[in-house]
Amino acid sequence: MPALTAVGVVETADAVASGRRTAVAAVEEALARVEASDARIRAFLEVTPQAALEEARAVDARVAAGERPPLAGVAVAMKDNMWVSGRKTGCASRILEGFRPPGDSTVAARLRAAGAVFVGRANMDEFAMGSSTENSAYQVTRNPWDLDRVAGGSSGGSAAAVAARFVPAGFGSDTGGSIRQPAACCGVVGFKPTYGRVSRYGLVAFASSLDQIGPIARSVSDAARLYRVIAGVDPRDSTTADVPVGDPEGALGRGVAGLRVGFLREAEEEGLDREVAASLDDARRIFRDAGADVVPVSVPRTTVSISIYYVVASAEASSNLARFDGVRYGPRKSDADLASLYVETRTAGFGPEVKRRILLGTFALASGYYEAYYGAAMRARQLLREDFDRAFDAADVIVCPSIPGPAFRVGEKTDDPLTMYLSDVFTVPASLAGLPAISVPSGLTAGRLPLGIQILGPRFAEEKVFAAARAFEERAGFPDDLPPAAAV
Amino acid sequence: MPPTPSIVTPDVVRRIAELARLRVPEAELPRWTEQLSRIVGHIDLLKQIPEEAFGSPPAEPATPLRADSPEPGKGDEALRANAPREMHGFGAVPRVVGAGG
Repeated sequence: MPALTAVGVVETADAVASGRRTAVAAVEEALARVEASDARIRAFLEVTPQAALEEARAVDARVAAGERPPLAGVAVAMKDNMWVSGRKTGCASRILEGFRPPGDSTVAARLRAAGAVFVGRANMDEFAMGSSTENSAYQVTRNPWDLDRVAGGSSGGSAAAVAARFVPAGFGSDTGGSIRQPAACCGVVGFKPTYGRVSRYGLVAFASSLDQIGPIARSVSDAARLYRVIAGVDPRDSTTADVPVGDPEGALGRGVAGLRVGFLREAEEEGLDREVAASLDDARRIFRDAGADVVPVSVPRTTVSISIYYVVASAEASSNLARFDGVRYGPRKSDADLASLYVETRTAGFGPEVKRRILLGTFALASGYYEAYYGAAMRARQLLREDFDRAFDAADVIVCPSIPGPAFRVGEKTDDPLTMYLSDVFTVPASLAGLPAISVPSGLTAGRLPLGIQILGPRFAEEKVFAAARAFEERAGFPDDLPPAAAV
Repeated sequence: MPPTPSIVTPDVVRRIAELARLRVPEAELPRWTEQLSRIVGHIDLLKQIPEEAFGSPPAEPATPLRADSPEPGKGDEALRANAPREMHGFGAVPRVVGAGG
């Protein structure tokens, strides 16, 4: 039997639930791999072996008592912005240093009930603001395919931990692509569910009308298992919808025969990278060969989606992050008077990108600019949603690239925020429209760096998205090799 | 035709930093102004959408409400665990009124 960390979620869970392996053995192997290789990758901000092994023993006891939990013994990397009871939550920010949440987030509670084990806090861009995990206040996560390159972001730690085979499962949050973009950069699967499908209780808020939690895994079937466990209405998050989750795992074998697969016209109009364009052509052929009805679709307002996103997300962030003022959490700077307590704590506690977004959001909401920026962005967002509604009359799912090019070099875009923002160009539209979207590895460039294809569905049509993703994955034949920088 | 001057000036940056409770040192003002100007310049693409394209926004779905009855929370416990300074179950802050009260 191969080492359990080299196999996926479903195989691990089935082996542990059936008593062929123990959760303790599975988790010990994951911890050993982290110990051996994470000094190079830097996916984790903190590893908690003692708590993880305690949880693994509890899972083994449940299995011995006859339970068959769907994620028995599955080691999980949780992004550092989701509450896990007994652990710290820091959002990779100095301003939350030492914060201990009052309990589990709903997602952590559901994973725990399903037998998953939390091995550590995964690195991220501070407060999930970034596309490269370079904005962490602590460390830069490296891409397991090439240590000179970024892992993507903001959930770069979770994506790199899965790609390097430290753990079979990672969880991230996706506000404008923060699950799908790093997954594509690292050659793994990343899934953002429909807005309202997964509870955000216990997720530190960035942009509340966009934030959604989702899984990162090495296969579409693993992602479907992880998604099934966390999905569903939660009274603690009033934005969760009481819409049946269905059977995402059962949908995997449905195939795409007769399915109308729409290729996004606007994605191909914008001077696309040559290798990305080639991978899109391959995807078109793959879907056609699999029996799908391949059609072009148009979503005109995707061309202004970055503009809409950076107004809406920054405005919401400036409001959400007002709570970090040194009164209730984190290290306090200056006790001279209340005004300087706020200003000095925030100035010392937030990094440059977080400050940039707060300033941009404050600008967009300020008197004199509100209507021209926030008001216009909200109206354009509604037009984008209507564009998607029309496109889904013509297609069952929509395909476009996940990233405009392979993972870039560390430091390449740090001095140019606008260019960094444009790396989200293909992921932001689904976020703004609240749609489910998955990134599936589509192949390697000539320089052996991963690329990804994205599949979007109508709201709450996760089953269709998973069926199309599995059909693509099966035929794309992404290499199952261990990424070179992850080899011990 | 000369380029349109950006509406993001050093004075605007100073003003929004104050609103956002952030300190931007004078020496860093030109860099912040330049970066924010470029970003706002890109955001200005929104102005290309003609006004007549905008219809009236659809009604938002109603927010589901829970029963109006008290439920135990974890507020006090969380405050005690995380507040930089705590007194009598409250987060303590510097004096906010003058010495004369």
